Amino acid sequence: MVRALAVKRAVLLVLVLAGCSGRQTPLDPAGDQSQALASLFELMVWVCGGMYLLVLLFLAASIYRARRRLNALPQGETQDDTALTRGLWLWGGLVSLGLVVLAIASFVTDWALAQADRRADLEVRVTGHQWWWRIEYRDPASGAWIETANELHLPAGRTARVSLGSADVIHSFWVPNVAGKMDLVPGRRNVLSLTPRRAGWFRGQCAEFCGTQHALMAFDVKVESPERFAAWLARQRAPVTSSDPQLARGRQIVTGGACASCHVLRGTAANGRAGPDLTHLGSRRMIAAGTLPMTRDAIQGWILQPRAVKPGTSMPPIALSPEDADAASRYLVSLR
Amino acid sequence: MTPDQRLELARTWADPPGLWGFLTTVDHKRIAARYIFTAIALLFLGGMLALDMRLQLLRPGMERMGPQEYNEAFTLHGSTMLFLVSVPVMEAMALWLVPLMIGQRNVAFPRLSAFSYWLYLGGVLMLWVPHALNITPDLGWFEYPPLSGPAYSPGHRADIWAQMITFTEVAALAASVNIAVTILKMRPPGMTLTRMPLFLWAMLITSLMTILALPSVMLVTSMLIADRLVSTAFFAPAASGDVVLFQHLFWFFGHPEVYIIFVPAVGFVSAIVPTFAQRPMFGYRAMVVSLVAIALLGFGLWVHHMFAVGLPRIGNAFYTAASMAIALPAGLQIFCWIATLWDGRPRFQTPLLWIAGFLATFVIGGLSGVMTAAAPLDLQLTDTYFIVAHLHYVLVGGAMFPLFGAFCYWYPKATGRLMSERWGKRAFWLIAGGFNFGFFPMHFLGLMGMPRRIYTYPAEAGWETLNMVATAGSAIAVLGGLVFVANAALSWRYGPRAGADPWHAPTLEWATASPPPAYNFDEVPVVSSLTPLWDERGTLPVMSGLATDQREVLVTSVARASPQYRQNSVGPSIWPLISGIAVSALFVASIFTPWALVWGAPPIGLALALWFWPTRPRLKASVFADTRS
Amino acid sequence: MRCGAGLVLLITATLALPACSREARVIDPDQPVTAPVGAADPRQGQFTDNLFQVAQGGRYFAWYGCGACHGAQARGALDLADAKWKSGGSIDRLYAAIAAHGPLGARIPTEQLWQLAAYVRQLPELDPALRRRQDLDQAAEPQADQWSGPLR
Repeated sequence: MVRALAVKRAVLLVLVLAGCSGRQTPLDPAGDQSQALASLFELMVWVCGGMYLLVLLFLAASIYRARRRLNALPQGETQDDTALTRGLWLWGGLVSLGLVVLAIASFVTDWALAQADRRADLEVRVTGHQWWWRIEYRDPASGAWIETANELHLPAGRTARVSLGSADVIHSFWVPNVAGKMDLVPGRRNVLSLTPRRAGWFRGQCAEFCGTQHALMAFDVKVESPERFAAWLARQRAPVTSSDPQLARGRQIVTGGACASCHVLRGTAANGRAGPDLTHLGSRRMIAAGTLPMTRDAIQGWILQPRAVKPGTSMPPIALSPEDADAASRYLVSLR
Repeated sequence: MTPDQRLELARTWADPPGLWGFLTTVDHKRIAARYIFTAIALLFLGGMLALDMRLQLLRPGMERMGPQEYNEAFTLHGSTMLFLVSVPVMEAMALWLVPLMIGQRNVAFPRLSAFSYWLYLGGVLMLWVPHALNITPDLGWFEYPPLSGPAYSPGHRADIWAQMITFTEVAALAASVNIAVTILKMRPPGMTLTRMPLFLWAMLITSLMTILALPSVMLVTSMLIADRLVSTAFFAPAASGDVVLFQHLFWFFGHPEVYIIFVPAVGFVSAIVPTFAQRPMFGYRAMVVSLVAIALLGFGLWVHHMFAVGLPRIGNAFYTAASMAIALPAGLQIFCWIATLWDGRPRFQTPLLWIAGFLATFVIGGLSGVMTAAAPLDLQLTDTYFIVAHLHYVLVGGAMFPLFGAFCYWYPKATGRLMSERWGKRAFWLIAGGFNFGFFPMHFLGLMGMPRRIYTYPAEAGWETLNMVATAGSAIAVLGGLVFVANAALSWRYGPRAGADPWHAPTLEWATASPPPAYNFDEVPVVSSLTPLWDERGTLPVMSGLATDQREVLVTSVARASPQYRQNSVGPSIWPLISGIAVSALFVASIFTPWALVWGAPPIGLALALWFWPTRPRLKASVFADTRS
Repeated sequence: MRCGAGLVLLITATLALPACSREARVIDPDQPVTAPVGAADPRQGQFTDNLFQVAQGGRYFAWYGCGACHGAQARGALDLADAKWKSGGSIDRLYAAIAAHGPLGARIPTEQLWQLAAYVRQLPELDPALRRRQDLDQAAEPQADQWSGPLR
């Protein structure tokens, strides 16, 4: 029976390790923090796996031994427990040793992570709202905060010091490929250091139950070279400069209509702070906090009926005629 | 004892007939039975909720359940399993077993055990009646503020959950006090603390843990209700309150709670293994010391549920060390059980099969716990399906499997019939196999980045296959559960008759008939070893002298169990039910208005006054003086 | 015994039902696509009698910046909790007053106007201490074009 379970487990292990790479997994480290944690995890698997095998072997041996003894021994015999007592001490020693090794490994990893906290090449401020992420970068030149939403860009090889706060309830910021998670707790300012090394797209997700749409509160993370990051940040810093006459109708609807009461498009009349910053919506990969791809159709559908995709969201359905909806989504897609 | 005396004893300890008897009984066996039936019914309801959730997660983007239904489902599932099934069922088993294992006629406080059941039932209704009325709490089984605060959670859903906690915790406190005092003061002559079966040690330690831990959760849920009802600001950061305070107070209870669930299971295993190995437990002293160590350490670990909250690193490191340390006593216990089997002559019947399943399964849960004990690594693992896997492995593998084994083991004693071995084994393989098949993949899901408490996930995440496996395994396990219950139900009617001691076990409960009469034992046994039924071949020495014309139990000293005096044991009474109703009325009303505390108190006072109304004249001298002729 | 318990449960349930519909949380309501028609518009029950909808109204009350003038400390004409509304207290009058409230009001979508009207309508019944406490919890939320950052 014990063997059957072990075989089952081995099969599953093989099946899954095959799918170890991914955009949202701690087992495919792309940053210093997650690399340290992945190494710690590997040590854990060896030590804990070894202990489990010993337990199973001991159990299997007892059962095997017992089956042979069933026919051999008469009843009423006194037991000599000295050998077993020695075994108990040995076992206790082995378990203690294993635990000490793992505890020390944990402390060493923690210390290494703390060292990373000392460097801070980039300052980012993340605020959790129900159910989206407000992301602000400190402009190294002016010291002002550049706001975006739901998509985090990071320069590879630099340490970003992410300051975490919440506007309403507890959320949790988690980009498993880069680092462990940290909660966004109202009333506290938590700090997380991220030092990504490998360029690419990764996915982060809220990891603390925060209400109805906790499941669809994700964000994209793009790690790129420092030069491309600087270029991206410069574009994000700029206000809306669209003057395309073909998009005038859309611009009027978005900056003068319902959108303006909750969203901000820097450089226009829309200056609502309740919802995500839309100034460069078109430059993002996804909308609605990682729910829908950034396409014109998706934006149009989202504006007209957000509850169809994300029931319970605070984004209200906006009543627009088909032409107006078309114009609005065209305009928003153009905001690169 | 003559047949006439036995007849008189039966009459003295009989319950009134019919409905009145049902409502007034203080027979610990009847009360434990209704506790267990209720808990099993809730286990199935909770299991149905789990299947519901697993079906929703079968494929990405499934629309069986919207977010509201899903959030209600996991809240109800977690709250039911932890507060309404796991803790109460362990208390119920203790309530049933403890007097039988100590050769006594009833527990120390008979009416308190009835009261404890009525309050537990109140808690069940407090959570499930609102569910029937579609106002299910939906904030998780832990309801962190500010999400559960007055701003983000309108209405009474959050209060319903918080007050359900109050019900079940008062019930648990009542049961624990009862069990602790019974174990300390009513053991049979000769059963010193070092000759006490490990199950009694486990229940004693569990009861003490409950008494120390549960006030914390009652306090914190009452503070939450106060925040919502009378606008206090315990958890309002803008008013200098602290959201993390809730987490500290909650987990100060929350971590000992899992040991409150696990330690009785340790007791079950320690009762079953010696019987089926046909030798006394190896390492009795190590087992006792480990139990005490687990209880003590268990109170020093709670911050490991809060590693991601942003507390200072050095504090987290302390809790990492403590959380790893608790693996040592658990590991020693594992060794002792296997060592008992090593040197015994095991019979592979269903109860032992459950123990083997427990060993193979619980150790995985314990080891995944060691992994998450490391604070930095926990930052990757917490709030993901890795933790879902871990918690189910330790709760199902570590508590439910021993519980099922204990159920099979003591079923003949309770009913006088044996469960079917064949169907018992099938149920075991379905449940244990299905569970492992379903939950082991969840470790990988967590390592692939799947967070907890999400009602759906994107197709690109690549989590679909393992979710399908998890759903299939869970369904198999539930099927096994149905087979198990069917076996229990059918064996009651058609199972082969069991004698007093079908397993050839060493402890006292096997010295009386199956099922035991209302008065449990003719006389109080006297023990001189840890395994009285194995040593005293033939007849068990007894101490006679308890009256047969009135209800009496024997009170003995704490350490050496030397007889001290005979105690009147209370007979059937309606006051536990009346008091339970009065207390329930106060609890329910107090989520609507604070005045309930004022107006609800006099009925409770009245009910308690009538409960404790003296029925015999006061003693003129101490019980220790020789006053009886 | 079982029948008795069942009967008690049934009676409790029937008595409690009206109260419980206030707690219903339908995530996808039938959104009224038009303004209220008269003071007795039957659709108002699904907002004014529903705690969740009223609470949503309270949230938009903060997000649209109403709290700046009509907050808990407002007095006189600006105090919306004194049940003395210039426009009248029926649902259609409140709806119209909010919709006509400057350029901001004109931009608010229909469903939110219903929720806001329902919220304002029940403000007199909201315990001031509870309102203060809710405001404290929401202190870090944005208000119209202002946001002072998360609570430290």
